[in-house]
Amino acid sequence: MTNVPWLTVVLVIPLGTAILLQLVPRSDRGAIKAVTVLGTLATAGVVAGLLIAFDRNPVIHAVGPGPQGVVLAFQFEEIHSWIPAIGATYHVGLDGLSAWLLALDAGVFLLGAVAISSRTTERLKFYCGLLLLTQAATIGVLLSVDMLLFYFFWEGMLVPLYFLLASYGDRDRGRATLKFIGYTVAGSLLMLLAIIYLYVHSRPTALGHPSFDLQLLMLYPGDTQQPVTFLGLQLLTPQQFAFVAFALAFAIKVPLVPFHTWLPDSYANCPPATLTFFAGIVSKLGAFGFIRYGLTLFPGPVHDFQWILEGLAILSIIYGAMLALAQSDIKRIVAYSSISHLGFIALGIFALNLNGINGAIIQMVNHGLIIAALFLVVGYIEARTGTRDRHAISGLERRMPWLYALFLVITLAGLGMPGMNSFVGEFTIMLGAFQASPLLAVLAGVGVMLACWYMLRLHQGLMHEPLSPAAETVRDIGAAERLVLLPLAALMVLIGVYPKPLGDITRSSAVQYVTRASAPPPPVATLGTP
Amino acid sequence: MTHALMAAIGMPGFPPAEDLVRLLPVLILSTGFVLLLLLDLVTPPSARTALAVLSAVFLAATLGAVILGWFDTAHHGLAYYGSYAYDRFGLFVDGIILASALVVVLISPGYLNRRGLHYGEYYALILGATVGMMLLAAASSLVVIFLGIELLSVSLYILCGFAHTEERSQESALKYLMLGGFASGFLLYGMALVYGETGHTTLTGIRASLDALHGTDSLLLIGIGLMFVGFAFKISAAPFHTWTPDVYQGAPTSVTTFMSVTTKVAAFAALIRVFSSTFEGTYLKWNGIVAFVAIVSMVIGNLAALGQTSVKRMLAYSGVAQAGYMLIGVAVQSPQATVGSLYYLAAYAAMNIGAFAVITMMAGRGEDLDSYDSIRGLAFRRPYVAAAMGLFLFSLGGFPPTAGFFGKFFVFSAAIQHGQIALALWGIATSAVSVFYYLKVGLLMYSRPREGEAGYDWARTTVAGSVALAATTAGTLVLGIFTYLIYSAATLAQMGTFPVPPNS
Repeated sequence: MTNVPWLTVVLVIPLGTAILLQLVPRSDRGAIKAVTVLGTLATAGVVAGLLIAFDRNPVIHAVGPGPQGVVLAFQFEEIHSWIPAIGATYHVGLDGLSAWLLALDAGVFLLGAVAISSRTTERLKFYCGLLLLTQAATIGVLLSVDMLLFYFFWEGMLVPLYFLLASYGDRDRGRATLKFIGYTVAGSLLMLLAIIYLYVHSRPTALGHPSFDLQLLMLYPGDTQQPVTFLGLQLLTPQQFAFVAFALAFAIKVPLVPFHTWLPDSYANCPPATLTFFAGIVSKLGAFGFIRYGLTLFPGPVHDFQWILEGLAILSIIYGAMLALAQSDIKRIVAYSSISHLGFIALGIFALNLNGINGAIIQMVNHGLIIAALFLVVGYIEARTGTRDRHAISGLERRMPWLYALFLVITLAGLGMPGMNSFVGEFTIMLGAFQASPLLAVLAGVGVMLACWYMLRLHQGLMHEPLSPAAETVRDIGAAERLVLLPLAALMVLIGVYPKPLGDITRSSAVQYVTRASAPPPPVATLGTP
Repeated sequence: MTHALMAAIGMPGFPPAEDLVRLLPVLILSTGFVLLLLLDLVTPPSARTALAVLSAVFLAATLGAVILGWFDTAHHGLAYYGSYAYDRFGLFVDGIILASALVVVLISPGYLNRRGLHYGEYYALILGATVGMMLLAAASSLVVIFLGIELLSVSLYILCGFAHTEERSQESALKYLMLGGFASGFLLYGMALVYGETGHTTLTGIRASLDALHGTDSLLLIGIGLMFVGFAFKISAAPFHTWTPDVYQGAPTSVTTFMSVTTKVAAFAALIRVFSSTFEGTYLKWNGIVAFVAIVSMVIGNLAALGQTSVKRMLAYSGVAQAGYMLIGVAVQSPQATVGSLYYLAAYAAMNIGAFAVITMMAGRGEDLDSYDSIRGLAFRRPYVAAAMGLFLFSLGGFPPTAGFFGKFFVFSAAIQHGQIALALWGIATSAVSVFYYLKVGLLMYSRPREGEAGYDWARTTVAGSVALAATTAGTLVLGIFTYLIYSAATLAQMGTFPVPPNS
């Protein structure tokens, strides 16, 4: 069984299901949904197996001298040549960072597949096919170790996402989609330039040509170069420029304030079933990229720009929370809360210490669960009351006891109540931030308080108080919807009470990322002799 | 006696018989050209589809000969006193041209029937133009280059005006004729100057003479510049692109499909052979101009495409921009850059033919429909056609996993590798702009027809049309995923260039 290329299997299952789907007649809506759910279920099954088989204490070998000789250790690795002439490989692997995100990916897409309404979704087959293609692309992003392969999936992800966002959703979706794609493309194209730059300047290895492989790039980075001067003005070094390009691409995807303006429009126009994975995993990939590529390839520049990035993270936390407070559209409240929470994850990353990064990884999974659940709840409420105005809905408690209870759990998880999953992540991040600078922790604390405010106000306003006219006739959520929300709520409590499995898997990778990021920039002289 | 005469005028004797083997692909297709022209006289109008089938057979046979020739390395070399190159470079380009022409022939009957333009000369002229393009791709002397360009141009002048009752089509033909004539003039004048300076018409001779000269005379540089203008016109690079939108829009769409890709591919092949290989020694004198034209094309093409409301015009300007990206591979002097350009040509053929093929399927009875309004709601009537069109648009925009991504990737990385980061930056910036107009069309396809407005009733797609669409879709994806297949072929083509591979 060890010879089975499991990661390729995980990548191929959604693709294969998407092709299989074309054989199902368009009119047989039940079968289309069943095939999709089964496909995502199969992916989830394999991913669960991978997590169980994942070695929690891998032996890390130093391949080269010094701290930069320790490259990331991957498990279940597969390497095949892809474009041999330029040294691009199909190199996939799983580490502690991507393992849980892969689990989250499998989970939110399963959720997204289950949450589709097979009766009311137009062109169901198209939708399901796109969902599966998006899953394949996101899995590719998580698994690839080769940078060209990574970019291939990273940018390729936009193709199915574009069709999803452009064809399903509210009236303004066209403009919102163009905004999202335009923003993202601008960022990623710059990153492509930076990738090519790193490639060209990487030390030619024994292979005879430069490499896109992350491990090789970490081992043999290019020479440290002089800053670029423009009109006699000393600007950044090329490495710093490359880092800025990467950071921009990731900051747009996360998004960090002030690159966030695509998010509210996109989320607001997107149907809840799509949002489970669009908000659940796609935005995490930006944070994932920061850790996987930002910290490993640019140990120097990360430190040079640390305070700017921390500042942006804090700005996202507080500004996002304030925007959430100012909204009356419940979907936008959740969208802005997402910006604020993602700011926390970014803060953890840029604390550049073990607690911060551990917390960030845990919080990525947590936030994926919470935001998916919140958007679903908001979607259920909108579908039943026909409005998204916070002020027009109240007193749902009496009509919807199930939703009330589940929403309460999700709300508490969202605001970081001890005993819930968010607490574990946010607390660890705060520890890390405090170690980096107490001021950061204080400012982040303001964000937590604001989160309590808008989350509780949302829950109270919708659920308690006298029944509003819009809520007069609503019915409680049915068995199918409970089936979607219950496991999510259960996971939030479970992780909150017993977070050890998460930490077990991430620990060894988190150590590697931190070691790498805090390593001094490699001296120029020793580089030529591997 | 002949031998004595030939000796008298300085010819070394009959060309060896094996030169005929080298010319085989061109010979097959020329036979088809002449045969079709004659058959058309005796074919009843009802049996014109048979002509399409016959032309497809000839194209396929030629493609077969080209593929066999690719492996027949024993015969590779210069033929006919160094004026015709039978090499992998030419064969690679021939492959792209022939495959494109084949797809065009597949989509033509359905389109021409709907437009009421189904005449037999059409197929003969397509083959004629293709012969010209193959000559151009293989030309290794100035004379053959000119011969190829004229053969393809004359055929295309007629094809552009094929809808002869329509003013737009007439305008298209006249514009192309006038400006094409000018461009040929520039090219010819440039050739004359280069000939005057070097005393050779064969590329081998010119190169050897330039290598010996070292110093560069201003007349020679003017000649090179004029030749570049001629080529830039044919590949519709800005600022020599002004004819493109009008000609593309006015010509029958199947002709636009054909010319937008094959002309560009063939002219690029000649451009690479002449500039990257033959004029390699004077690279530093002309690379600035090529880079400038590349940047101007990218900027003007992409910006002008933003404001269009006709899909054909949008694709015309997009073609200008794409020419700019491909020119990066000429402006950067390295084997990787040439390979990148060749890869881009293959990618461009797949995606652009695909996109235009979709437009031919939009054509209504007696008129072309190509406004943004008529493509609105396409996804609701023809979901698979719309999905394919979406893929082509993404490819043109340079997204993975499609051909366009790797086209751009290879030229950009060649530019960065050789320190010409500015070129790559311009490319990146304009690519980001291009996303908006490509995806705008995509959005229209996926939005519902307006309230109260009956959506345009699309004609049924013919079987041949579906095959063509499937082939271009497959090509776009294969070039975008199994990159090494064509990349290694392009590398072999670059290495096998006669007279000398660039930068060898």
